[in-house]
Amino acid sequence: MTRTERSPAKTGTGNRTTRLLGAGALVASAGVLYFGLVTTPADEVQGDLVRLIYIHPAVSTMAFVAFGVTALASLLYLYPRTRSWRWDRLAGASGEVGVVFCALSLATGSIWGRPAWGVWWTWDARLTLTALLCALFVGYLALRRTGGGAESRAIRSAVAGVLFAVVVPIDHFATEWWRTLHQGDTLATLHPKIHGSQLWTMLLSFIAFGLIYAWLMFHRTRLEQLESRLENEGLAYALAARRAEGAPSEPESGPETAPVSGPEAAAVSGSASGESTEAAASAGLQS
Amino acid sequence: MGLGGVATIKPRARLASRRRQIIAFAILAAALMVLVFRGLGNATLYFKTADEAVAQRAKLGSQRFRIEGTVQPGVRQVGQDVDFVIANNGVEVNVIHKSGPPQLFKSGIPVVLQGHFEPDGHFASELIMVKHTEDYVAKHPERVTTVPAPATGP
Repeated sequence: MTRTERSPAKTGTGNRTTRLLGAGALVASAGVLYFGLVTTPADEVQGDLVRLIYIHPAVSTMAFVAFGVTALASLLYLYPRTRSWRWDRLAGASGEVGVVFCALSLATGSIWGRPAWGVWWTWDARLTLTALLCALFVGYLALRRTGGGAESRAIRSAVAGVLFAVVVPIDHFATEWWRTLHQGDTLATLHPKIHGSQLWTMLLSFIAFGLIYAWLMFHRTRLEQLESRLENEGLAYALAARRAEGAPSEPESGPETAPVSGPEAAAVSGSASGESTEAAASAGLQS
Repeated sequence: MGLGGVATIKPRARLASRRRQIIAFAILAAALMVLVFRGLGNATLYFKTADEAVAQRAKLGSQRFRIEGTVQPGVRQVGQDVDFVIANNGVEVNVIHKSGPPQLFKSGIPVVLQGHFEPDGHFASELIMVKHTEDYVAKHPERVTTVPAPATGP
């Protein structure tokens, strides 16, 4: 596609920053894998099951961070002085990435729970709240897809994003406030009772999953941007196509009849133009 | 689709009704939060500690509940049946469990049991859950781990 060749940064979701983040995430993940599976010792009580702490705490924390970012961006959208589509897109992207991390947290915890606790699941405060959080933000994502005007949809989603994120601090303190089967925070104190290399590998896992979150966020936010651009420019394409259809005397329409310059706009006719722009944009995304 | 997301200009009346909808939605969500929080408040007692359970034994009767305590040395296992004692704050409870212990079950570790008191005073357990702490200790490579490890803790 000629448009892609002209400006790859505008149609693709990657750039130098994302490539750097991606490479960093790969290196950090490789480090976590090596230290977590090879060099760190097994635990006195848990044996090799202890190696879950190099994935699960970081994944769960990233889910909390993601939902926190959704709440913050939603507030910035709701506050009239800072209202911008940028915040709506950021909130949506972070909510989606957060659901992925939250689901991973539930899955990894459950897989560990079966051998370590003896049960896949139990209804203690931490587990119940995490499941609730996950369900609420799946609902948030559904709410973002509801119809109506773009602005009222954004406001509705932002209000939900802020309200749902209230569960995050409650879930975080659940192991302190209530009796749970789930253990408390290892890293909550300055002198955690954990073997040195276990501690550093755990901290490295936080860096690795932090980078993965940032990398996903850059791509997802850009994708939202492209989606809204497609919605806006899709209309222009359709109009241009209609004009071209209504004026057969001018087969090669000039720039005044096609507001958005693109070779596809003039080539296709009628209602099919919407699909062609989508195809053009998705071809750009793949690069 | 191309035309799907185009916003149309709404009359003022519709905007006002939209605002009412948002307020109603916010109140509903807040009410849900309160319900969840209060519900959790009632279910906060995920388990009773062994000493609490013994103190409330008359009230508990044969009711099902969860009990927590540290497994004392001297676990006896015959086939699937496990016979052991859990303790908390110096109060001991005899436990009989009939469906095999979980993988990491041994003396010296805290457990949460689901079951009920029998009239003779022992706790009939249906489910053993091993409760792990947030502390991690590196395993010594030279230490041999046997199944009923005599790790009573310091």
